[in-house]
Amino acid sequence: MKQLSERIKEAAFGSLSSGQVEMVIGWQKGPLWWQSFPAFITDPGETASLIWDPFSVSNLNKYLLNEVPKKKIALFLKGCDALGFNQLLRDGRVEREKVLLFGIPCDGLVDPARVEATGLSKGLLQVKKEREELVFYYKEGQRKAPARDFYYSKCLSCRYPNPVTCDEMLGEAVPCQPLERFANVSKLEAASLEERFTYWSRHFSRCIRCFACRNVCPACSCRECIFDIAEPRWLGKAKESGETLFYHITRAYHVAGRCVDCGECARICPLGIPLAELNRKFIKDINELYGEYDAGADLDKEAPLLTFKSDDPDVSA
Amino acid sequence: MKKITKEKLALFWELLARRATLYLPLQEDGVVNFAPWKNGARVNLRENSLVPPKNVFFPQAETYLRFQTGAKKLQLESLEPEEEFILFGVRPCDVASFTILDKVFLEEPVDGLYAKRRRLGTLVSLGCNEPGETCFCTSFELEPAFAPGADVMVWDMGEFLLWEAQSEKGDELTAKINELLDEAAPEESASALSLRNTTAAGEAAAGCQQEWNTAGLQEVLRGKFNVELWEKLYHRCLGCGICTYLCPTCHCFDIQDFSRGLEGERFRCWDSCMFAEFTLMASGENPRPTQKERVRQRFLHKLLYFPSKYGLYACVGCGRCVRKCPVHLDITQVMEPIK
Amino acid sequence: MSVNLKQGPFEPLIIAFCCNWCSYAGGDLAGTGRMTYPANVRVIRVPCSSCVSSNFILRAFQRGADGVVVAGCHPGDCHYTSGNYFARRRFLLLQRFLEFLGMEPERFQVHWISASEGNRFAAVMTETTEKIRALGPNRKLRDTR
Repeated sequence: MKQLSERIKEAAFGSLSSGQVEMVIGWQKGPLWWQSFPAFITDPGETASLIWDPFSVSNLNKYLLNEVPKKKIALFLKGCDALGFNQLLRDGRVEREKVLLFGIPCDGLVDPARVEATGLSKGLLQVKKEREELVFYYKEGQRKAPARDFYYSKCLSCRYPNPVTCDEMLGEAVPCQPLERFANVSKLEAASLEERFTYWSRHFSRCIRCFACRNVCPACSCRECIFDIAEPRWLGKAKESGETLFYHITRAYHVAGRCVDCGECARICPLGIPLAELNRKFIKDINELYGEYDAGADLDKEAPLLTFKSDDPDVSA
Repeated sequence: MKKITKEKLALFWELLARRATLYLPLQEDGVVNFAPWKNGARVNLRENSLVPPKNVFFPQAETYLRFQTGAKKLQLESLEPEEEFILFGVRPCDVASFTILDKVFLEEPVDGLYAKRRRLGTLVSLGCNEPGETCFCTSFELEPAFAPGADVMVWDMGEFLLWEAQSEKGDELTAKINELLDEAAPEESASALSLRNTTAAGEAAAGCQQEWNTAGLQEVLRGKFNVELWEKLYHRCLGCGICTYLCPTCHCFDIQDFSRGLEGERFRCWDSCMFAEFTLMASGENPRPTQKERVRQRFLHKLLYFPSKYGLYACVGCGRCVRKCPVHLDITQVMEPIK
Repeated sequence: MSVNLKQGPFEPLIIAFCCNWCSYAGGDLAGTGRMTYPANVRVIRVPCSSCVSSNFILRAFQRGADGVVVAGCHPGDCHYTSGNYFARRRFLLLQRFLEFLGMEPERFQVHWISASEGNRFAAVMTETTEKIRALGPNRKLRDTR
């Protein structure tokens, strides 16, 4: 990881100081062990503050929608981010020639909640990754544990740890050993209708409508979102179970066929609603009904909801 | 001082719930939130709730008016809260947040809904045994294990809870449930005081959260409306409402109508200054056109405008926004360069 | 839309979005042919089955519909050549999704009814009404206000 963070600094410095780009978007570190956050750097002198660590989970490519560069922006992409980038490209929301992409092979990132669950977080100062292990640093010393035990669940089922697109790859490709990503969807499908309704009602009842799941999503890139429009007000603001369901159905449905399964929606949800399962239900159905399709990766295939076949399965009951 | 042993807690909840609606920190799917206690609910007294208990006094959405229009007549019906409730397990930081909300809602013009709920509710605070990693209540001269604004103060001493009424309402509640309370021995009562002292010292010394020196912050921020910091800060903000909705002191709301045919209702609901729609006017003009103005508003409201008007910061150091902001716009950090 | 507020036995409310070119004309034919179908069905005419947004469907459920039907031209017969092919994909996914969330799949149906199928229109609406009547009122997704 040390090496990678050095290469990130070099790449950022090089592209900024040569005038190739006017801004670099990477990650910086806050004072707490899990605080890694997006950083926007225009001064080559500040590139030394960029980092790469097991918490650099923020997807940077969605910021391209806000930043309007005269020249180029340089961006670091993990495997999942690269899929999102491709989707933004396909949706016509970014211009490829305005971005310089540095690819980062990433075999998984650490979920702070999993560290806390083990009690390792008490007095924790820093976490570093050394090969397959995490090293936890404390005032009194250090402890080690297998890294994969602490990864986000979205990382454990990641199928594209190496960016599918970039201008320059920083680091060696990493192997990939994904868990079955549809396991939870299948489990729910096997449950009864009432069990499923209870399950989702319970989860949705916690929703506070903060819209973080929408805002972080690389497939949610509308200039004006249906949920923000006051007239007609499709999404009411009352704490009604019907309204909340409307929100979650619509959010997932709008990204069906475009969701790259990066899992950011579920990761970011402060209330722990398993949002990725909604998207995965669509992905699973699309794969079963219309053939395998990986949004963000299958660039040569037509998007499943923008096309049809005359012999598609019928919807008629 | 009274005490209650932990084996009696289940019975205790049942008894309290019989007196009034009992809000407790309940755990569901790994998330702790205040909700009405029901038999079989999983009470979690170890962690503070994710959504602050402000939503008990100031719900995310509440209907206060029903209307019906006929050919000539408009019929109106006002609704207001009627239910007495006990809010148990509120941490001292969140109790302090009610002082802040009181300033907004109880000064003229008084907000009837909030005022009524404040009257109907009995507030039982639970002192913190150890500060969390993102806690910084001491930065606002609050004590982690003591809440002067609560009706009853409770401390978790391991085997038992210590119970001390601090107000008339607290005395009334104590009298109602006296059968389950025992008299605490003098040395047990003294342990509450020592807990107060160790946690207050503990937070400062915890070393996890850098202590945030808020002294003079208000003065420093005056005249800093157009500094470059805001330009730097806002880029990473996603514009979601996590920080505002999880904040115990954020109190902005919107008013909306819901109607079907000739009848409908009017409700108020939380709103967030992080949303573009928040300041969007009917003309299409938006005085806070980008996230920069919105981020600035949030921080300056808490740390400059509110204290200028009411004499105290609109932050109690509960640490929810620090913990949950997806891009770590950490309030204790982002203001540092301005100093 | 206050069918269900009336006292008495449960009468389902069914909203049918019918494509102007086929299904709506099929409904007309049912009418001129003096075929009967339940008055529980409220028809909303739309240009094409593919222009029925998920918003319309969800909103219908929110505001009290016990069932929603989208009816369009038979695949291959779309007035706009291919609208219903797109609709077929979208609605199959939506139907399965609603079922995934715990809604009874019968509550949201899609049927292909041509302008000459007045009897089919009446039969589909009758059958749908009976199915939904048997299921009872829809509470899921429904506004409680």
